[in-house]
Amino acid sequence: MSGARDEILARLASAPAAEAAPVERVPPPTMPADPEAVIAARLGQNGGILVANADRSDWPDHVDLPTPLADFEHVHCPGGLALPALGITRRGVGAHARTVHDLAPLDLCVLEAGFTVVENGASWHVPSSSLERAAALLAEHLVILSPRSALVPSLHDAYARIALRETGFGWFLSGPSKTADIEQALVLGAHGPRTMHLVLLDDE
Amino acid sequence: MGHVERARAFVANADRTTWHDEALWFVRAKRDAAADTVPDWEALRDEAAGIKRDVLGRLPELWQRFEAEATAAGARVHWARDAAEHNRIVHGLLAEHDVRRVVKSKSMLTEECGLNPHLEARGIEIVDTDLGERIVQLRNEPPSHIIMPAIHLKRGEIGELFHDEMGAPEGLDDPDALTALARQDLRGRFLGAEAGITGVNFAVAETGSFVVVTNEGNADLGTALPRLHIACVGLEKIVPRASDLAPFLRLLARSATGQPITTYTSHFRGPRAKETDDGPAPELHIVVVDNGRSRLLAEPAFREALACIRCGACLNTCPVYRRSGGHSYGSTVPGPIGSVLAPSHDPARHAELPHACSLCGSCSDVCPVRVPLHHQLLTWRSHLAEAGHHPRRRRLAFRLAAGVLSNPVLYERVTRIGRWLARRLPQDLLDRLGGPWSRSRAMPRIPERSFHQALRAREEGEGR
Repeated sequence: MSGARDEILARLASAPAAEAAPVERVPPPTMPADPEAVIAARLGQNGGILVANADRSDWPDHVDLPTPLADFEHVHCPGGLALPALGITRRGVGAHARTVHDLAPLDLCVLEAGFTVVENGASWHVPSSSLERAAALLAEHLVILSPRSALVPSLHDAYARIALRETGFGWFLSGPSKTADIEQALVLGAHGPRTMHLVLLDDE
Repeated sequence: MGHVERARAFVANADRTTWHDEALWFVRAKRDAAADTVPDWEALRDEAAGIKRDVLGRLPELWQRFEAEATAAGARVHWARDAAEHNRIVHGLLAEHDVRRVVKSKSMLTEECGLNPHLEARGIEIVDTDLGERIVQLRNEPPSHIIMPAIHLKRGEIGELFHDEMGAPEGLDDPDALTALARQDLRGRFLGAEAGITGVNFAVAETGSFVVVTNEGNADLGTALPRLHIACVGLEKIVPRASDLAPFLRLLARSATGQPITTYTSHFRGPRAKETDDGPAPELHIVVVDNGRSRLLAEPAFREALACIRCGACLNTCPVYRRSGGHSYGSTVPGPIGSVLAPSHDPARHAELPHACSLCGSCSDVCPVRVPLHHQLLTWRSHLAEAGHHPRRRRLAFRLAAGVLSNPVLYERVTRIGRWLARRLPQDLLDRLGGPWSRSRAMPRIPERSFHQALRAREEGEGR
């Protein structure tokens, strides 16, 4: 194997050098006047729904699903948040799963994102476990809670906040699982969640 | 068989050609609208092109750093000189883990290497999980587009396929219903898979991480469930720093489909954590593949093609691609970028591709990393001609033309005869000489005097 490695590196090293030129960095965009309107529009392009006019105590009322959030049978939600008061607790396979495969029938997954990028409506999330990572994909419905105080204008600012070297797995999420592979017709719920709500939460 | 011959069947159906043309132009229009939302779009393209130029100048250093970081994070890095070695490594890993069932997300690299047939011949079931790729896999044909693999198919054809393969009711052609069927079928395959294979959009040298983007979340499901993840990456896919991801990710989805970002933009570093303390440990293997990339790097005229981030914008905008379909190229990657890459792999087989181009330059205008595509296509034409890859008729025609055009006396005589003839031939015969060009145009009337003669006469008149 090391034969291949050394040979490839030698091939690359023997290529004629191109002229080096300094890379001109683009100044990152600034925060738009109405960031939440931009998030709603960009998220909407990817099939996600923004819930901005809600607070910690009433946001589930603004998440419009066929079943009220409190009534789903199989739910995964973060341990740290005070969600039980809203009737949202880990239950069903969301509470009992020991392996990722146990999670298959999950109805709802609630995640806590670190921050949200205004220019594309995506939220940065680092799963707390392999189970949470799978839950976000296997659930029929996805709700992401993100602090309203943590909005960044663009991906440039986003990467300034992310310590990628200390992150095993992290992702930007910007909507439900979707496809347009059949005649360019947008279909939500290709493999994973059929709906995705982003809830911007006020600080206490 | 060249591009023209392969395009013939597709072009014969004018309705389909028009439909295909319009579908792709619609995507191009979405790309324009998305680019318009970014005030510094052109500067962003410069930045991305600059980063790639820098990267191509120090690939050995970057890959060694990546290898060290990825290994420290618990991944294993493998190196493959060519497609055969890549396939051997992947099969070896699967065999070592007794894997029979694999799910794979979209990867043009594994397509290029012919991984699927290699594994299938060895008794391993490999399922493409991107819906478009699954469709073409079931039809036993290659993708016709790098990000919309089934763009050449109509819903009715996909309905028929699903009727045969997944028991869809006859005549079903609703995209929602068809997608729901595929979802159900694929969900079972995700849960049953023992390994997930993905491509890589960007590898980050300083962190040993890599990024995979999808809208369906299929790469994510395929790596969140099985314990073995194999990521296959081409040598050109590396960037130095995490902060370099920003310009590329801002450009990629906007250029590809007009989206502000893909739905899933996943950053992997090392294998997944164990689910339980006593459970088996997931593994991550990264296969770094050359397969002709170092050769392209050594070609100053073409090395910039290695900057390509596979967004597909050059396909969507190309008037030839839009009207001839992806399969007419006969190469893994079709369209302008494919026509630049393919002759480097096999000049004799792909010598015609640089001619499947009107040199309109639209590809170069939309390329997010400023690959000078149409210049490279023109350069390929002369390289391939010099290497003797032109068909005999064209070689003869060019030799004749060169002889006439380089000799003013001969040129004068030949054009005089030509004009004399052209003024006496009936118009309908002249039009037939114009071939397809004159299908909707009339050959112009040939003037009595050549430009030279007219100019001379005018100068003499003025002199008097």
